[in-house]
Amino acid sequence: MKIQELAERLELKPATKVFDRDVTGVYISDMVSDVIANAKAGDLLVTAQAHANVIAAANLVDTCAIVVTQGKALPDGVVKMAEKAEIAVFTTALNRWQMATKLYEAGIR
Amino acid sequence: MTTEPMTRRYEMVNVRPGYLMIEQENHTFARRSYFVAEQTPPLEEYREGAQFWKPQEAAQTFQFDVRDTLTGEVVPFGELAGLLYYACCAKGSTVYQIGDLAHDQRVSLYVAITTKGEEGHVPMPLEKVRVLNALFNERLTSPRKKVLILPDLFGLHREIMYQQIAVDFGLTSME
Repeated sequence: MKIQELAERLELKPATKVFDRDVTGVYISDMVSDVIANAKAGDLLVTAQAHANVIAAANLVDTCAIVVTQGKALPDGVVKMAEKAEIAVFTTALNRWQMATKLYEAGIR
Repeated sequence: MTTEPMTRRYEMVNVRPGYLMIEQENHTFARRSYFVAEQTPPLEEYREGAQFWKPQEAAQTFQFDVRDTLTGEVVPFGELAGLLYYACCAKGSTVYQIGDLAHDQRVSLYVAITTKGEEGHVPMPLEKVRVLNALFNERLTSPRKKVLILPDLFGLHREIMYQQIAVDFGLTSME
């Protein structure tokens, strides 16, 4: 499934331009070191963190996009950094567990 | 249609979760960093000869080694404090400017920041940086995207805040 389609189905709010890619998996973590060690290219990263090093880690492992949970807003600098790295970032009011449930229901495994 | 499993030459092994500790000497205010693979960060001050070292900050992170699946050789990366993304550096800095140019060619620039050991800050040897580059580039799937990790030939360890490195400050309290 493409990230644009998934975002529409799950009513995710784009915080950046959308760079459409296939979603091939999901990784949920609030630790950049954990993301670097364990996330896979093409994973959708679900996190409560909205700082610059989340973009640095997501870019390093080539995640397809990021969903920031609990309605957290992204600082302007982080939005610019993500767009430059061509990583779409979405926000949602849901928490990580609720987001995980929605992703599973949408067929993402 | 079948898909061939992707074979990778390098794999991350011996992953050790722990803490990057930043400490300061009480009289000279010299700072140094080291990694501990422990469940809780060591918070005690301690004496080392005439020096008195006090922990300042701790970041959750991990260390790892890299195994070459072709030869079986395991390359240790115990000196790696973390990777610094060029875009987390000051815009006027040399690294930012080089990273910005590299970005135009779809190359994402990172710098391997090392911990400060007995010999001070020693940049990671090129042969080890080559292995790191291979490890992370093999994981990428975006077309034409590349990652370039450089050793700290810029002396960034003197300029940066450790919070700029991709490690997890603030998730555990020193209080």
